[in-house]
Amino acid sequence: MMIESQGKTTEPQAAGVVLSEKARTLPSGEREFMMDVRTADLEVNMGPQHPATHGVMRILIRTDGELITGAQPHLGYLHRCAEKIGENVEWLQYLPYTDRYDYLAAMNNNLGYSMAVEAMLGEEIPRRAQMLRTICAELNRIGSHLIAFGTYGLDLGAITPFLYAFREREWMMALFEKICGARLTYSYLRIGGVFNDTPPGWLGEVEHFCDVFEEKHKEYVDLLMMNHIFVKRTADIGVIPAEMALDFGLTGPMIRGSGIDFDLRRDTPYMLYGELADAGAFDVILGSGAKGALGDCWDRFYVRVMEMIESVKIIRWCLGSIEPGPVIAPLPKVLKVPAGEAYVGIENPRGELGHFVVSDGGKVARRVRVRGPSFCNLAVLEAIMPGTLLADAVAIVGSTDVVIGETDR
Amino acid sequence: MDFEGIHGRLGAISAPGLSGADRPREADPEDKKDGGRAGDAFVQVEPGEIAAFLAACRDDAELAFDLLVDLTATDPDAQDERFWIGYQLLSTTHRHRLAIKVFVAKEGARVPTATAVYRAAQWHERECAEMFGITFVGHPDPRNILLPDDWAGHPLRKDYEFPTEYHGISCE
Amino acid sequence: MQHGNLVHELLSGVAPEAVPEWATILVTAVIGVSVLVGLVSVLAMFSVWLERKVSGHIQCRYGPMYVGGWHGWAQSLADGVKLLMKEDMIPLGADRVLFVLAPALVLGSIFGAMAAMPLAPGFYFADINLGVFFILGMSALTTIGVIMSGWASNSKWSLYGAMREAAQVVAYEIPLGISLLAPLMVAGTFNLLEASEAQSGWFGMKWFVFQNPFLIPAAVLFFVAALAETKRAPFDLPEAESELVAGFMTEYSGIRWSFFFMEEYAAMFLMSIVGAVFFFGGFESPFTSLAEWAFVAESGADGVVTEAAGIFELPLLYHVTAGTVLAAKALFGVFLMMWVRWTLPRVRIDQVMTMGYKYLTPLALVVVLATGFWELILS
Repeated sequence: MMIESQGKTTEPQAAGVVLSEKARTLPSGEREFMMDVRTADLEVNMGPQHPATHGVMRILIRTDGELITGAQPHLGYLHRCAEKIGENVEWLQYLPYTDRYDYLAAMNNNLGYSMAVEAMLGEEIPRRAQMLRTICAELNRIGSHLIAFGTYGLDLGAITPFLYAFREREWMMALFEKICGARLTYSYLRIGGVFNDTPPGWLGEVEHFCDVFEEKHKEYVDLLMMNHIFVKRTADIGVIPAEMALDFGLTGPMIRGSGIDFDLRRDTPYMLYGELADAGAFDVILGSGAKGALGDCWDRFYVRVMEMIESVKIIRWCLGSIEPGPVIAPLPKVLKVPAGEAYVGIENPRGELGHFVVSDGGKVARRVRVRGPSFCNLAVLEAIMPGTLLADAVAIVGSTDVVIGETDR
Repeated sequence: MDFEGIHGRLGAISAPGLSGADRPREADPEDKKDGGRAGDAFVQVEPGEIAAFLAACRDDAELAFDLLVDLTATDPDAQDERFWIGYQLLSTTHRHRLAIKVFVAKEGARVPTATAVYRAAQWHERECAEMFGITFVGHPDPRNILLPDDWAGHPLRKDYEFPTEYHGISCE
Repeated sequence: MQHGNLVHELLSGVAPEAVPEWATILVTAVIGVSVLVGLVSVLAMFSVWLERKVSGHIQCRYGPMYVGGWHGWAQSLADGVKLLMKEDMIPLGADRVLFVLAPALVLGSIFGAMAAMPLAPGFYFADINLGVFFILGMSALTTIGVIMSGWASNSKWSLYGAMREAAQVVAYEIPLGISLLAPLMVAGTFNLLEASEAQSGWFGMKWFVFQNPFLIPAAVLFFVAALAETKRAPFDLPEAESELVAGFMTEYSGIRWSFFFMEEYAAMFLMSIVGAVFFFGGFESPFTSLAEWAFVAESGADGVVTEAAGIFELPLLYHVTAGTVLAAKALFGVFLMMWVRWTLPRVRIDQVMTMGYKYLTPLALVVVLATGFWELILS
């Protein structure tokens, strides 16, 4: 911390005391100096291996005591050439790679990529497949937000909520394991639909999960979100005003935390979401500045936590109206996509996940561009970190809910 | 607003650098080689004017593109003399999108930076620059972002040759 | 009232005349230190196991279950062996002397503080008039070790941890000491044994917190300050594993690291003992009263049994009961600290400072004042 003392002296005397330019003459004729005892700035590498960077990210922090005077994120430690791989494998072969960038929301990644390819194929997706896609995407959103919830508590020193969140996430992963055999990298959503139909009784299990989850969700709110210390640690910290959020191209909970009423699911409807929005099946959660300034860390956290309940609502709606039918459109094994280019952005748990694919009519893409929401959301750190304390840096990084696999791709 | 509406509006406000539109079309039944073009419609913009064009898109009340979603380049073919940079804009108030294409020559590609219009462009341009070798003129922080600072070549160009080693580490 | 050292008395009793006084003192010291080291180590190991079990059960899991058979009781033992076998690493840029000295100082000072800890009526290592301030003083010495470790590690994270420790401990020593002044006024003594005896009566329930209503807030203040003093969550800022990697312990590994770890648990236990003695009756409880009535009916009021008396002529059972009661109270305090740790998020450094200086210290002063007035009015 900067040791700051105010006092009246007629002359600078003490060695090591740097007089700032705030010296002024008082009406009485005395000279008043603002004295800053400044220590040398310390440059600290937060990462690449640090418990609070959620992966291998490095933030070069310049600190004056505990006060951060500058922050510069350095990326690339997890760069796995996803976009280059996309230009070298067949359309369907690329699908498992999409699992790997945002590994916490693999279903949503599958969905984004599939939809981008489908936009060029112009294929009709069976309704049951769309239902299953929505259920899986929203279940995965819950799982991803549970991690965001748990690790944010962990960042702020509350370890127990993390394990509670993992209890439910474990269940969610077991559900996914039943439907596709994988727990993390699903590749269940395929181009044209989903990989296979649900095992018997699976939809009932999802319903049971929803029932239990709604009960447990109240615990989360009480245990962490409304905890006094937690509120003190997150309210008024890392405030992102609405203009700044737009300027930095933030999306998802980050932008909704700043009070901008925008959700791709409702506002640029894709798949069944337009229908869902018309039916009023879900609401868009917005930050309201309830505990501090609008757009602070608490607001972003609030949006994530409450969005889980909205996801449950969506799942319930789908469970209520799902009907038997085919789950995948008949497509050739080796897919040829007509020439052209398409950009499809979907609402990932972290924001807009955009896939931009370019085809020349062949079996392999000419270009697969992934617009990772974490990548864009992270850029704001440079702007909001200076002026906060070291402990706030952790709170701010946690509130962006980055997945480094996605920023570096 | 749909694409035609946006395109018309851009013409009406005479957005700087607007040079045409690229729409998807059906295959020409006469021409066997032509498979048509699927996907999105784009507006084409002159490279020198892109920053001014983006500012016009952002500031016009009817367009109000307040979010730069994506910025990336595409190198469609190693034989081509030029490649293009794609911008994706989104309006959170009007809830419409716009895709922009800017064709630039591969050799010594130079485009004015969009960071003054959207700060979101800063990291996207850094990535684009290291991956394609495009110089964004006036970029405040033109360092590599995902690749090491001393990485040779631009990996997403089609004429990129994979290195055989990096600092003595074999890459084969 | 002056107690002798039990070991010393025993030794003096059996030693031949020719053995000089200093020799018995030396042997007493050696025995005392050995017992103390063993006791603290076992205590720390038990506390670590307890912490893992408590955290496990709070977090819907079991904690260690396999090592040793019954509920993984030997887990800490296995961990200790593992830590002993680990490579002893000193970073290249570290100040080697200070780096090695720091854990020793930390553990040594907590051992020193433990010396004034009473085990049972009449069982202690050192009977000091200013017992409680000796304990506080010695445990404050650990801070110097922590700062040394942070400086010597030559790591920025360690330095942060050390600076935080310095700021935090200085801030919380004050409310800790002041909140203890309140029961001290009621007890009228600094000696832990005497303070415990001052609470005998009311069938073992004449605890200080029941004697004076203002001691309840004082006990709360003491608990909060003790949490901060022992670097326990939510005041674990010097370690702050999500912020400072591991704070002052970042560069430590193996047995040196375990010294810090042991110190933490020993300090928790010590603070709980002090809290139990000065707020919650020390040795006194209905069980103790029952045991005293049954076994030492004819002994003196000081609890020291001069001649075997009582109904069953088993005074040792009384001592065991009293010691167990104190240990149980202390362990409950340790459990409370664990409970808090696994429930609350960590506070920020400026909030820690604000709380210490702006709220706890003035509040502690008010409580002391109120306690004093209450005592005046009652007398």
